[in-house]
Amino acid sequence: MEIKNELKLFDNDFMNHLTQEAGNQIDYWDIRATISVGTTIDFTDQKSTEISSYEITNCGIRTFVNGGWGFYVLKDLDKDLIKTSFLKSIKLAKLTESLTKHKFKIKEVNPINKNFKIKTKRKLVDVDIEEKILLVKHHEKLASNYSKKVKNTHTIYMDSVKSYVFLNSFGSNIYQDLSYLRLLNIVYSQKGGVIQRSINSVGGLGGFEILSTEKAENLSVKTAQESIQLLEAKSPVGGKFTIIADPKLAGTLIHEALGHACEADLVLSKESILAGRIGQEVAFDDINVVDDPSMGQGSKFGLPYELFGSYFVDDEGTPSQKTVLIENGVFKNYLHNLETSSRMNVPPNGHGRASSSSYKPQVRMGFTYIEPKDWNVDEMIQDTKNGILCEDFLYGYTNPTTGNFQFKCKFSYKIKNGEKQELMRDVALSGMILEALKKISAIGDKNTFGFSSGICGKGGQSVHVSDGGPYIRIENITVGGLN
Amino acid sequence: MENTIDIFELANYGIKIAEKKAPNFKCAEIFVGKSEYTNIELEENSIKFSEIGSDHGVSIRIYNKRGSLGFAFTNKLNKRIIEKIIKNAIKMMNAGTADPNFQNLPLKYKTYPNVKKLYDLNIKTLTIEDSIEYVKELITVCEDDDLAISQSGDFTSSCNISYVFNSNNIEVFEKETIFSISSNIIVKNESTGETSNGYESQIKRKLKDISGTNTALEALKNAKRNLNRIKIKTKKMPVILSPKGTINLILNPIASAINAELFQYKRSFLVDKREKVIGSEYLTLEDNALIDGAVGSSNFDGEGVPCKNKKIIEKGIFLKSGLLHNSYTAGKEGVESTGNASRRSFSSVPSIGISNFVIQTGTSSIEEMIQDVKEGIFLNSTGDSANIATGDFSGLISQGNVIKNGEIKQALNETMFGINLLDLFKNIDAVSKDYRIYGPFKAPYVRIKDVQIIGSKN
Repeated sequence: MEIKNELKLFDNDFMNHLTQEAGNQIDYWDIRATISVGTTIDFTDQKSTEISSYEITNCGIRTFVNGGWGFYVLKDLDKDLIKTSFLKSIKLAKLTESLTKHKFKIKEVNPINKNFKIKTKRKLVDVDIEEKILLVKHHEKLASNYSKKVKNTHTIYMDSVKSYVFLNSFGSNIYQDLSYLRLLNIVYSQKGGVIQRSINSVGGLGGFEILSTEKAENLSVKTAQESIQLLEAKSPVGGKFTIIADPKLAGTLIHEALGHACEADLVLSKESILAGRIGQEVAFDDINVVDDPSMGQGSKFGLPYELFGSYFVDDEGTPSQKTVLIENGVFKNYLHNLETSSRMNVPPNGHGRASSSSYKPQVRMGFTYIEPKDWNVDEMIQDTKNGILCEDFLYGYTNPTTGNFQFKCKFSYKIKNGEKQELMRDVALSGMILEALKKISAIGDKNTFGFSSGICGKGGQSVHVSDGGPYIRIENITVGGLN
Repeated sequence: MENTIDIFELANYGIKIAEKKAPNFKCAEIFVGKSEYTNIELEENSIKFSEIGSDHGVSIRIYNKRGSLGFAFTNKLNKRIIEKIIKNAIKMMNAGTADPNFQNLPLKYKTYPNVKKLYDLNIKTLTIEDSIEYVKELITVCEDDDLAISQSGDFTSSCNISYVFNSNNIEVFEKETIFSISSNIIVKNESTGETSNGYESQIKRKLKDISGTNTALEALKNAKRNLNRIKIKTKKMPVILSPKGTINLILNPIASAINAELFQYKRSFLVDKREKVIGSEYLTLEDNALIDGAVGSSNFDGEGVPCKNKKIIEKGIFLKSGLLHNSYTAGKEGVESTGNASRRSFSSVPSIGISNFVIQTGTSSIEEMIQDVKEGIFLNSTGDSANIATGDFSGLISQGNVIKNGEIKQALNETMFGINLLDLFKNIDAVSKDYRIYGPFKAPYVRIKDVQIIGSKN
């Protein structure tokens, strides 16, 4: 694999030099350096508002001694500058260590010396800007022409190619060639005084072929269709209802409401309601939840690319792997980075992720999902007396300390005596994690298993994540509305 | 951070190349941002992480006479790279569509305001050890309290310089400092096992204005107020917004709704409401960039246009002048830019943003406002945001309490509320004289009558 010129300085000699400099002053160090090259194309109402290209370099040097971390961030990949910054970072770790109350060690793991590359059919750098623009224009046109009710269209194409080197004091030296693409489409429709909007996106790790999939080709028409459908939707009436969540909502619900509380850094800082609950029954006894960011998930959904929530290794050099969170309703594992796994005395499970090399890795999810079971969706609806069928979401959040969560659904249909009825918009759901997990009463089969991808924020950093599941049913959920 | 001369030379070189190389050239702009920062993090009420970092970069915007824009950026600062990104930007420009609404980049201004105290010299001598002292203040508050079991938080300092150059002879630069501190305290009621958290932060231009102790004490107060949570029944009642609640439900939505871009696309619930009554007489608001030492203050905006003070709402009337513009939206509407072009960094094209959003304070104290409420809600924060196109809001009370017979009582679990913002503005029946400043917001307590509360108690 061809290593990018500016990253060639991170060779074995350089690594030996750093190892010598560190000596026994510190317990652990790692260096991440990335060069990202990318394009953004932004169109509104069939006109370009931004067409841009960039090249950005990031480098972060992290050091650790006995409970104290140091971090030094720079932007120029100059050998001498990195060497002096490494010494400054060591100083920072030692200073932190002199003040920290919680002393601990990072447990050594086997080093990895490997290169990884995202396979692409059409390399992003080989596609002309003109071709990328044509594609955006095509989607803008499809959305604008969909109906006279369409008032505004907005399409954003973003791609980036990242060359990424990782070194650490365990002897890992990992080089990765990564490739990301995302197409986002927003349509506003209007009828009388009512304005409604819908957003959809496709994307993942791969090349330009991502946009040739059926899902991508239908993107803007689907968005236009949805925004028009929402014009006729009714406002919900607040109260308590049985909810049937589609795969997208079920996935984001499990990500927000359960996943964040599984992050071991929040457990150690006493911010998680799941602290001390390993081995306890926390959910409906027929539910399994896992986080599996390993590569190869896209093909399960018939997609010729990788999901956004997938990675080869995390940003601390730990290989991605499947971790069981809940098995038959019993809480099994937290998600870990090197620090939390060392402190909780378990092997790391590959969840140390950072939004770029300028940020420190935090404990983050990858691809979190509910495993399918045996309910047929139609039967699930027929079996529901007074409920709401909720499809897709606008956003959601959870307070991991209290366990209170809240979600806004994109589409919601009233269910009366087993029949799907009128469409409602802006349905807001709220509940308490530990109560809601036990109120799950049905889990759908593999025929409807689906996922969605997005960007998740924590501590000022954003990373790509995916989540999913089958349709699930939850009893007695609070629904907010304007009336 | 000292080589200002190099930046000027580099930028002028870039503009010249752009003028020479771009076919059908109309105008170009070079923006340079540089920053240096430190960050100390606290976890489990113990210092855990120290960071020093720097960032810098340059971006170029080039327009041709058809109004097509090309944009490119990088974080390397040398002539070779400038040439490369200009070449890229020209390629992007050539590929773009014509835009007859584009007029020009800002023309040269004769005078700029002279806003003071945007830069605090103390940053030059601030050491990591000094920064740690602020974090130690946080630690002490948590250690000294019986209910507090953990705290996370951080202290950051940063110095930023931004430079704007364009081919219409704009050439400005500004240096500013930002200091911030935050605390998230976890408290536990040992007898019931219930935990809750409280968050507080400060963002200031001046180091001396930062207080770790006050930040942690306020976080602790919020955390304790959020213990003993109950569920309540659905009912219509008055709501008192804390300063944070006022930001969530009044200031932030208005900040979005008066963005001229949203307005021009007719995606704001305030479209067609100019010069009309949109709220009660208690609602008076301005966007003032000229307050000495304020976080949202600036002498010029992200395109080099002088900043100013703009009246937005006067006694409930949304003023004709109440829109925020950058040069593009202003040109499209045939008015002057209001100096509200905002750039997160060199890597983004200018959008539109507020400076300091100042709501006029009232005459009652917060105590008096609460005393008058027999049964109501004290709303400290919500994680939800309104639909700006329609003004509809429905969401969760993330932190809030019951008010009973003029006193703040138990905290709320799983309680939601819904209202259209125009109704919310019209239902304001008191604004406190007490206020808080959070970043660019000056926010008092605000009382709203008749809000639909959706409880989860059966």
